[in-house]
Amino acid sequence: MSSNQTPNPLCTPVEHKFSRRHLLGAGAAASAMGIGGLGGLVQPLIADQMHQKEKQVLFIWIDGGMSQLESWDPKPNTQFGGPFRSIPTSIPGIQISELMPKTSQIMHKLALDRGVSTFDNSHSAGVPRINRGDPKDRGVIYPYFGSAVANLMGPGDSGLPPYVWVKPGSGGFKYQDAGFLGPRYGALAIGEGEPPPNILLPETVNSKQNDDRNALRKFANQQYSKTRPATFSEAQNFVFDTAEALMNRRSLFDDPDPKDVERYGDTPLGRDMLIGRKMIEAGVRFVKVNSYGWDTHGDNFNGHASLMPRFDQAFSAVVDDLDERGMLDHVLVIAMSEFGRTPRINGHIGRDHWPEAWSIAMTGTGIKQGAVIGETNAEGTWVTSEAHDIGHFFHTWFNALGIDSEHTEYINDGQPLPIANDDCSPIRELLA
Amino acid sequence: MSSRYLLVVVFTFCSLQPLFAQQLHQLIDQQIEQATSAPFAGQSTETEFLRRIYLDLVGQIPTTSETLEFLADENKDRRSRLIDKLLEDPRYARRMSEFFNVMLMERRGVDSDWQLFLTSSFNENMPWDEMVSHMVSPDTNSEETRGSAYFLTKRLEKYGQNPTDFPGLASDIGRMFLGMDLACAQCHDHLFIDDYKQADFQGLFAFINNSFIRNDTDYPAIGMKPVKVKLEFNSVFEEGTFSTGPKLPGLSEIPIPEFIAGEEFAVEPDKETKAPGIPKFNPLDFLAQQLPTRTNESFNLNAVNRIWFLMMGRGLVHPLDLHHSDNPPSHPQLLTLMGQQFANNNYDIKWLIRQIALSKAYQRTGTITPRVADAKHKEYRVYAEKPLSAEQLMWSMLTATGQLQLIPSESKTENAGNSDPSEDKLDESLEGIRADFLAAYANPPREPETEFAPSVRGALFVLNGPRVLSWIPAKAGNLADVLSQQNGDYAKTLYLTILSRNPTSQEANYFNQHINSHSDKTKAIEQAIWALLASNEFAINH
Repeated sequence: MSSNQTPNPLCTPVEHKFSRRHLLGAGAAASAMGIGGLGGLVQPLIADQMHQKEKQVLFIWIDGGMSQLESWDPKPNTQFGGPFRSIPTSIPGIQISELMPKTSQIMHKLALDRGVSTFDNSHSAGVPRINRGDPKDRGVIYPYFGSAVANLMGPGDSGLPPYVWVKPGSGGFKYQDAGFLGPRYGALAIGEGEPPPNILLPETVNSKQNDDRNALRKFANQQYSKTRPATFSEAQNFVFDTAEALMNRRSLFDDPDPKDVERYGDTPLGRDMLIGRKMIEAGVRFVKVNSYGWDTHGDNFNGHASLMPRFDQAFSAVVDDLDERGMLDHVLVIAMSEFGRTPRINGHIGRDHWPEAWSIAMTGTGIKQGAVIGETNAEGTWVTSEAHDIGHFFHTWFNALGIDSEHTEYINDGQPLPIANDDCSPIRELLA
Repeated sequence: MSSRYLLVVVFTFCSLQPLFAQQLHQLIDQQIEQATSAPFAGQSTETEFLRRIYLDLVGQIPTTSETLEFLADENKDRRSRLIDKLLEDPRYARRMSEFFNVMLMERRGVDSDWQLFLTSSFNENMPWDEMVSHMVSPDTNSEETRGSAYFLTKRLEKYGQNPTDFPGLASDIGRMFLGMDLACAQCHDHLFIDDYKQADFQGLFAFINNSFIRNDTDYPAIGMKPVKVKLEFNSVFEEGTFSTGPKLPGLSEIPIPEFIAGEEFAVEPDKETKAPGIPKFNPLDFLAQQLPTRTNESFNLNAVNRIWFLMMGRGLVHPLDLHHSDNPPSHPQLLTLMGQQFANNNYDIKWLIRQIALSKAYQRTGTITPRVADAKHKEYRVYAEKPLSAEQLMWSMLTATGQLQLIPSESKTENAGNSDPSEDKLDESLEGIRADFLAAYANPPREPETEFAPSVRGALFVLNGPRVLSWIPAKAGNLADVLSQQNGDYAKTLYLTILSRNPTSQEANYFNQHINSHSDKTKAIEQAIWALLASNEFAINH
């Protein structure tokens, strides 16, 4: 975004003032329905909606900004195209970067939008804005997508925490994503593939003794709760229950099958994607798999030549596995960054931040496989089709999960809050 | 002392000037009670009050003998006497150092000089305005207080790949000392808070943007480059370039004096010792003069709001750093009144804590009955639960298990890290213990600890971690040892020692039966101790 442009708080891609007005009208009508019709009553209804198949999300977060030109939207032999060629995919007529040979073979299983246009070209503002779906400001801190799904859909029957974040670096309990929903909707982070500390019962306590001591603890908690407010106790009970569930699922952290390691890649992303798949199989509602180091301001092409194959391998392997196990009918898979990278190649042979025109890929439950929508111009600088902001995607994904995003609200201290930007709407072309 | 207060009250009542001479704690209760017509909860029980005041003033639960001593006290003024006693307890300075360290530094790290500054300040009951003056303009000549510079220097340290965070330091001065988070007013007037102007942020920024960490000292010290011109800034919304000198919100700009080139320094830089020069004009001197002053209302209100939070678990303005007209205090008059009286009482922290502790609001029960089931925290109709900090949990678990007496005395002062790292052995020093508790319970750096956020990490620490579990089995004189020598009734000692109260008959039956019917009495006692340490009642200050 050029520096003289005022950041626009509304959900409107830069080039589409007209469609914005159109959307404003539609949004106003929708929110009126929300208040007059379902407002306030929606929470219990969600539970019913969820009774279908237990839906889950695998959210692959490529932190720093994957270059759309070296991945989903290559522009070979153009001014900004860079050195890489494009290759055909399993969808006739659709080409992606040669850095994604494995993904090119499963393209028909994916949906791709090349017309993404968002705001905020800084990491510090872009990461939270994108992760929160760029809601309108209502004086509260909105949850990240994982916390949102954890709240709206609950933990399911797995007994595991609803939101698990698999990442390099530190693990632990990361409540910051939860925003106004409160810490219990934060993420349990698995860092470096390591189980959380102290997950094993010590040798001095056998499982019978563990049951005995927990029975005493729970008795004490019941006594206390008789005359005390619920909030703190419930939060405490929740973290203890989750801790016990994790202790019972220690095998989730066992060493992986070497064959799987070979297929996913012996890389941090391969390792974490594999843990991510296991977490999904174990029934975790929302799993975020995180890859870092994509901010290629310098040496973009060598950077992507090294990064893209790791993504290509891990991503195609997990989609294949979920597909083979028949899990794509209830697992939504999304791969994205906080923005794309500039078509212009800078003096350090790098690409900078470019929210104006980039791509997001997805598949799984509720998503139309093989749909490739959205277009950029020949140089890849601007979106020429109808541009889609992150708000549109949040609507789309909530709908894919069976949540009516236009009529569902959070209730925060009595204040109803739309779950997705109310100026936006689902992208029907991406929905099955 | 208390009889003198009583006389004053009687006297003022007769002279019909109650408002003038009433004590602050009475005014607190008037304001709280006037604010609502809804019913209030009654007074806390003796043990409820006892545990609460120990945790708040000395940072830990009482020992069994302290509990028994208080329960045996039949004087009517036993509560106020306990408050006075704890304010003079050596553990008071430790507790306040820990609380203010967490609040002011937000888990950025530890530093022994900073620790010394905090501990000695609270030991001497240094007035709050003086403490702040030390923090924003440290005096390198005083060994006892110069660690106060850590407030500034730690924030100027680089972390990760971020540039030196001058804006963060400016915004933290606003947050910690004025109750105003101006971070979002850095590039433009705040979008949603009309009171927060870009010029306010930039004025604060101009105090510190020429400061730097001195590297010629072995204690935290701040240097200042000569400031010659005003700070220029742009707004992303408005055309044009603006400028400001150092300026506090609501006060006037400090003029930047002009010096002939080469005459900026009062003390020239010394190339041999690497000591930086001392400029004739140092904005931090002005910050120390203008920020902590009686006429700076924001300074006074922020201070009392934060001490109110310490005692009551919520600020009268909440969040603590968002004081502005669209987020008014729950009890505006009370906040103003406390701010005035705190300033009039020479920013005496002990005096303020004592007054809040004496109030009915502080001494209310936390038990919920139908009459108060709808009470909101900000009404103070019931005493609201507060989470125990990592430090409070550490001291309380050490106290309850009896492990505190078993820590080798030299390790209480010595630093950790001397043990053989090849051995998978726990570091038994106090610092080793503290590191474990912080890892389990503290927030990550730069996250305020003002909301309750229990974690799976903390639960796993107490469920399976070797640290607490190793304190439980019987060792000379510890709790399990005492219990193992008892017969039949264990519950009374268990509850008095761990939860600082007597068990109900149901609780006594349940725990006694567990131990008496167990084939392995030792194990059963250990399980009982663990269960109460891991209970919600233990983890909460209620």
